Amino acid sequence: MTLANTVLALVMGAGFGLTLNKAGLTKYRKIVGVFRLTDLAVLKFMMTALVVAMSGLYVLRGLNVLTFPNIPATYIVGNVGGGLLFGVGMALTGY
Amino acid sequence: MTWFVKQFRKEEWSPYVAGALLGVIGILTVLLANTLLGASGAFENLAGIIGTALAPGLFANTYFKFIMKPEITFGVVLLVGIFFGGMLGALSSRTFKLRWNDDPLWNRVIGPERWKRWVIAFFGAIVLEFAAGIAGGCTSGLAISGGMLLAPSAFLFIAGMFASGIVTTLIVYRRRY
Repeated sequence: MTLANTVLALVMGAGFGLTLNKAGLTKYRKIVGVFRLTDLAVLKFMMTALVVAMSGLYVLRGLNVLTFPNIPATYIVGNVGGGLLFGVGMALTGY
Repeated sequence: MTWFVKQFRKEEWSPYVAGALLGVIGILTVLLANTLLGASGAFENLAGIIGTALAPGLFANTYFKFIMKPEITFGVVLLVGIFFGGMLGALSSRTFKLRWNDDPLWNRVIGPERWKRWVIAFFGAIVLEFAAGIAGGCTSGLAISGGMLLAPSAFLFIAGMFASGIVTTLIVYRRRY
C-alpha cells in the first residue's frame, strides 16, 4: 500500500459511507423494506449506482482512459449459493 | 450555495442522488486505484492478521496465503473511511447518537430486548460473512462493483440474495407484515 493509495482508500471509503448513510441503508427498516417490498430505496440506490458506474466505466475504457481491474470470477453454484445464504443473513440482521 | 448546504444536511437524500454519487465513486476508484469497492474481504484480511498472530499454524493455509492475504489492503483502509463517512453523514444531519436498537420496526416485530438484537446480529453477521466468502463478495464488492463491470457473477449473486431475502422475511414476519 502506497501513501497515495491509502489516502485514496480513506477518501473513497468516506464517500461510500456518506452515500450509504444518506440513502438510509444504515437502517434496519430500509434493508428489510426491500425484502418486504414496502420500501425499495435499497434497490433504487443499488441500481442507480450500477447504471452510472457501468456506463461511465465502459465509456472510459472505450476511450482508453482506464483498464478494468480483476473482474469477480464466475462460478455459478458458488455465486448463487453464496447469494442465497447472504440474503438470509441480510434479511435477519438488516445490515 | 445555501441551497446546496441545506440539501446536504438532509437526513435522507433521494436514493437516486446517493446512488449516482456512489456510481461516480466507483468509477473514480477504478480510475485512480485500479481496484474495486469491496467491504467483506477486508474482514477476512483482518481475521487473517489476528489469526496469524494468535495461531499461525491454523491460518497457514492456501486461503490466507493466496486468496485473502493477512495484510492491510485497500479494502481495510476503505472500511476505516466508510466508518468516518457514515459518521460525517450522521453529524451533518444532526442524527448522530449512540444507539442500541431503537428501530421502531425491529421493536414491533422482534421485540425491544437488547440481547435479541445482539444475538441475531452476531449470528446473522457470521452467515453474511461466510456467504460473502463463498460467493466471492458482498453487496458492495460483488453486486455493485462486479455489476458495474458487467460480471455475470454479480447478477447471479443479486438474484440469489433477493430470492432468499424475500423468503426469509416472509418467514420472520409471517402475520406481522
